[in-house]
Amino acid sequence: MNASHNCENCPVHHRENLIRLGIAMDRVDYVVALAGNPNTGKSTVFNNLTGLRQHTGNWPGKTVVRAEGGFSYREKRYKVVDLPGTYSLLSTSTDEEVARDFILFGRPDVTVIVVDATRLERNLNLTLQILEITDRAVLCLNLMDEARRHRMEVDTRTLSRELGIPVIPAAARQKEGMDELIAAIEEVASGTFVCKPHRTTNRSAKINHAIQVLSEKLAQQFPGLPNLNWVALRLLEGDQSIINAVQSGELGQLETGILQP
Amino acid sequence: MENPNKPSHDALLSLANNLRWDLGVNLHDAVIESIYEDASRIARNAVHKEGDPATYTLERRIDQLVTSRWLGFPMMFLMLALVFWLTVAGANVPSGLLANVLVDALHPLLKNAAGSVGMPWWLSGVLIDGAYLSMAWVISVMLPPMAIFFPLFTLLEDLGYLPRVAFNMDSLFRKAGAHGKQALTLSMGFGCNAAGVIAARVIDSPRERLIAIITNNFSLCNGRWPTQILIATIFIGGAAPSYLAGVVSAGAVVGIAVLGIGFSLAVSWALSQTVLKGEASAFSLELPPYRPPRIWQTLYTSLVDRTLFVLWRAVVFAVPAGVVIWLVANLHMGELSLAEHFIYWANPLALVFGLNGVILLAYIIAIPANEIVIPTVLMLTVVSAGMTGEGAGAGVMFELESIEDTAQILQAGGWTLLTGINLMLFSLLHNPCSTTIYTIYKETKSLKWTAVATFLPIVLGLAVCFFVTQFWYLFQGG
Amino acid sequence: MTTLAIQPAFALTTGLLVLLLLGLLFWPQKGLLAIWSVGKANAQRVLLEDALKFLFDSEYKGIPIRLNGFAGYLHISTDKAARLVESLRSIGLVQFQEDMLKLTDAGRSYALRIIRVHRIWERYLADETGVANKEWHGRADLKEHSMSLEAADLLAAQIGNPVFDPHGDPIPSSRGELPAYTGKPLSALKEGELGRIVHIEDEPGAIYAQILALGLYPGMQIYIMDVSEDRIQFAANGEECVLTPLFASNITVESLKEREPLKEKYAALSTLKLGETAEIQAISPSCRGQQRRRLMDLGIVPGTLIHTAFASAAGDPVAYQVMGATVAIRRSQANLIFIKPSSNTKV
Repeated sequence: MNASHNCENCPVHHRENLIRLGIAMDRVDYVVALAGNPNTGKSTVFNNLTGLRQHTGNWPGKTVVRAEGGFSYREKRYKVVDLPGTYSLLSTSTDEEVARDFILFGRPDVTVIVVDATRLERNLNLTLQILEITDRAVLCLNLMDEARRHRMEVDTRTLSRELGIPVIPAAARQKEGMDELIAAIEEVASGTFVCKPHRTTNRSAKINHAIQVLSEKLAQQFPGLPNLNWVALRLLEGDQSIINAVQSGELGQLETGILQP
Repeated sequence: MENPNKPSHDALLSLANNLRWDLGVNLHDAVIESIYEDASRIARNAVHKEGDPATYTLERRIDQLVTSRWLGFPMMFLMLALVFWLTVAGANVPSGLLANVLVDALHPLLKNAAGSVGMPWWLSGVLIDGAYLSMAWVISVMLPPMAIFFPLFTLLEDLGYLPRVAFNMDSLFRKAGAHGKQALTLSMGFGCNAAGVIAARVIDSPRERLIAIITNNFSLCNGRWPTQILIATIFIGGAAPSYLAGVVSAGAVVGIAVLGIGFSLAVSWALSQTVLKGEASAFSLELPPYRPPRIWQTLYTSLVDRTLFVLWRAVVFAVPAGVVIWLVANLHMGELSLAEHFIYWANPLALVFGLNGVILLAYIIAIPANEIVIPTVLMLTVVSAGMTGEGAGAGVMFELESIEDTAQILQAGGWTLLTGINLMLFSLLHNPCSTTIYTIYKETKSLKWTAVATFLPIVLGLAVCFFVTQFWYLFQGG
Repeated sequence: MTTLAIQPAFALTTGLLVLLLLGLLFWPQKGLLAIWSVGKANAQRVLLEDALKFLFDSEYKGIPIRLNGFAGYLHISTDKAARLVESLRSIGLVQFQEDMLKLTDAGRSYALRIIRVHRIWERYLADETGVANKEWHGRADLKEHSMSLEAADLLAAQIGNPVFDPHGDPIPSSRGELPAYTGKPLSALKEGELGRIVHIEDEPGAIYAQILALGLYPGMQIYIMDVSEDRIQFAANGEECVLTPLFASNITVESLKEREPLKEKYAALSTLKLGETAEIQAISPSCRGQQRRRLMDLGIVPGTLIHTAFASAAGDPVAYQVMGATVAIRRSQANLIFIKPSSNTKV
């Protein structure tokens, strides 16, 4: 385990799991996952970050071969993994499982969520789902040029406060905002920016009660699990890969030692 | 961390299960709804919108035009026809050029070099006449059209036009029990069936995806266009008065392509009514906003991702096929080569289907690539008919510059107008090439469906050829 | 070519015969190959397992069973029923308490296994396939005798480990747990009482079909308006229905203490004209599984505004504007999405 006990700016990614997920982990300091809805310009952001050319069309399910690339910033080497573009992480398609398992078990140091600024509400569905799993994320508010053309204004400070993560306005096609994005990635990766991710609490009393009962038991068995409530909810939805992780005890390896309040 | 009092994993899961019974059937809905509730509140706080901007209206205008009742379909057909015309017309010159370099110039050069270093004749035969030549053929026939077709297709896709095509075509495909996006995989299949099969990934409901994969072979891929054009020119154009020859033979090729689309829809319908009846079916499609494509990146990536990828797979399969082709023409059992044995044995059987032993053998050993069917047919015809002075020897595939010469060889091999028609039909309706078969297996992970996709077209093809032939005999009086 | 051995007319006839033969062999479901591959189920075992299932169901609902009722349910003679019970008793699956038939622990766990397979298969058919709802039960009745518990567990894992079957019945866990029975028949509710449908019995098929035709489904809120000897008049989600007590006894409800806020009367999204805007009320429960999830992922959730943007060249599918995105769905899906008119026109 390489969790960040007593270490403020150590990487938190789960090396063994990442290698098992097929990521080459030589000479890597931080691991960055790139997630987002289809049609948000995610691969353009990926290409800008890594200099690779990678094509993904206007269709969900296109990036079946997961793309990897890297960049260096302030003497640290970052590995960037492009996850499949999905609308959700809960609908149990293969793409969604790939993305979900990577964020949960690979525990990337930063997850960059690329969203379409002109369709923020719909995109926030995925964003909020990701923030339930990880507490290290950056929101890349892409397609700001289109938003301006449509005379929409997005208040990034409010958004950042609501979500509890850095929000970077960008227009990846014009290479706008990419330096700021890299800087924000570094801040979250190094622990300079401590995220306080938004967690959904507005569920019905019945569901919340079930989550509470179950997460208490989970906490006894897997102390230090960073996303207890989410794991509990997944068990309540009968998610097989979480059930497997409980049975095999794999869930225990994801403990960070930092107890959730 | 080891806590002796901790409940066992099983007890935990059992607890979860019991809690789920209390939560009722609508848990997933409730979970998603509460997420959206938050999303909507956050978006309301953060986004300020000032009225309906002009760009939205413009986009809507374009959409209304592209999907309009009267203009929608004609625009679409024009657009696709333009793409195909550019592909067929534009590929001619570079294909010829590549064939000149790889086949006409480089092949003799390699043969001479092999001779001068004292390579045994059989080794240079297998390697150079067999493996190298089939690879050269596949590259020169396949590369240029794909290098034109795929970038054009990708441009339309990046622009956002293709999703609108799927949207417009859905009603037709729905009636055949299929998905609107099958219109795209079908069009893609005209470039390359393997690429069409891969493209079926964009269809997210399992039944429709399977249908799209199985029927993709009915799209006449660009490896089969040259065969169709050549045979139509020789036999169908030849049967028409000379001032009509061009139009009639072009019409015949288009007719075969349209017949393919007809088979695609009919087989889709039949599958959805029978074997795939119980499979789930759904349709939902986001129509992305129109965005100007990035031309250079598109060119680069569609070349690398699609063209070279598919070409590489085709070459990998074509090389061993070249070896086999050379071997069957050169290995002898008694007086005759293996090829001749098969051809004479299969001839009576093939005649029932209006084909001949040469065609059957060519389609069996040229499974890896439709591109080498005609060169193989010519070589085998020369070998089996015992012609001298034509071609470059046993096992060496060849093509002729002049269509008249090709016609002469075929007619000397006993070909008639009926053989020509049947070859065109069989070229449309036979098993997919091995690249496509392999791709189907990789995409479906099912031997059963791969087998269906492989054998269904052959059975259909043989049946169609059989009935055409027998009716022909019936009306021609033998 | 001139020396053809076969006459074309003869060849054509042979060809047609070959086609016919192939069809006969390979025709899905009805072809010989399909019939052969299904094979013969073990009739004795099927009967035995059906008997256990019936006994368990009666026990679960607290209905005492004597030999007569047992024979009647299984459509066999009392003699045959007696022999069946005897063989069940000899292998330790049932016992007599006075003249009541009771399951032993072993019998109960056997029955639970069969029920688990049956209900998982029903759920699978409902969520993952296009099989019509009237066929679920019949198909599962065949499947429960041939599918192993392990295979059922694997299938359950693939479809998200469901805990309810599509009729609203709980699925026993793989450890054989089942929640206590809380429902009562609709016919037991009194005038003015409130309840929620938790289950609709799918046997006998004729009654089930009629209940389905009324548009009743698990989750509906029931308010009893009038009860007489031969008819029960009630409101299901505000919609008035009348059933005979016999039919009503096939519907299981749980009592509700207070009225839950009822959604107003629905109109289908497919009735919304081009250029009009409405608020989404609900997605029909008959839109299930992946299809339902996909619609929600695309932003079609209760409370959002939806605007009919434009139709495709053939008129169906139609593109809707929802949460800023343009989403195309077919009319058959739009029929399953319920809306109420909205004065707000901004989407």
